[in-house]
Amino acid sequence: MTKDMDPMFPGAIARGRAATRAALTVMLAAMVALGPLAAYAAGTQIYDSKTKKWVDYDSRKARQYYARNNQAPEAFRRQVVTFRTAERPGTIIIDGNQHFLYLVQPGNQAIRYGIGVGREGFGWAGIVRVGRTAEWPTWTPPAEMVARDPNAAKWAAGMPGGPENPLGARALYLYEGDQDTIYRIHGTAEPWTIGLDVSSGCIRMINDDIIDLHSRIEVGAKVIVLMQGAALYKGV
Amino acid sequence: MPGTKLWGRAAAPQVGILVFLGLAAGCSTTPPPPEEMARTVTETAPADLQLMCASAAAAPSGVDSAKILPTGSRRVDARTFNVDLDAGGRKFACLIDDSGTVTSVQPA
Repeated sequence: MTKDMDPMFPGAIARGRAATRAALTVMLAAMVALGPLAAYAAGTQIYDSKTKKWVDYDSRKARQYYARNNQAPEAFRRQVVTFRTAERPGTIIIDGNQHFLYLVQPGNQAIRYGIGVGREGFGWAGIVRVGRTAEWPTWTPPAEMVARDPNAAKWAAGMPGGPENPLGARALYLYEGDQDTIYRIHGTAEPWTIGLDVSSGCIRMINDDIIDLHSRIEVGAKVIVLMQGAALYKGV
Repeated sequence: MPGTKLWGRAAAPQVGILVFLGLAAGCSTTPPPPEEMARTVTETAPADLQLMCASAAAAPSGVDSAKILPTGSRRVDARTFNVDLDAGGRKFACLIDDSGTVTSVQPA
């Protein structure tokens, strides 16, 4: 088990963003738990096969779809797609605008997974790497959240990993050089949020998908996060 | 205006055909394949095309392609995307078509 979302997170994103990082860390932990309350997908639409129309995909629509189908819309399900790139197999590419994570495979192919990403103002971009991973990571709410939320207070010392844990089944910790960026690719206890802009910058996947991705990647894998909307540019 | 009236009568069959064809086209709209049943209102370049632009910018920028990051993209026309790139702090603009052919990389 590994602790996560500790507000005293020791890493640092370079270029004088310490204050932003501290604020993001707090918000990150809060939004891991509260994300769906503020969920929306900026401009995402899905094709409704019954009406043969494109319809806006927001949190209400996402919940309805998941309740009916017990899975995300087909476009957000794991699948092999053509992906023309010179990046090495094993590289992870995150397209937050489209809500897809690609794991590069040989032969101009990639495994594509659906993801939930940062809501407006919480997107970011950069070239980072998987610094470490954890199975069923512990989630630790920040002190501010513990102070105001009795439900969070009972997990002040850390919520053990499990199906109800906001981080889900696995977490891939993204590093810039040797520094933890505070961003993670992780599972979720709220699978209907895939395809939405819900987080404070983390990339969430359904637990089956993060388990699959975790089994395929190596620590040190390159991760390219493409610009999402008016995202923060973290540099390379 | 007699001319207008004449045009209206003469064009009626054609208009009817056009309306019929329009309705028929609407009825027979082919749904996208399952993997394409999601989209964004603001269309950005596919991820692989953005990265192909980053690779193509290595030579003109003199920067290792591993350090060039797409920072934005948009559709220019039916076949072409513009991709903004950051190459070690220098900005470049790349044009690429949907087949993956880079048509230009220039300082922005």
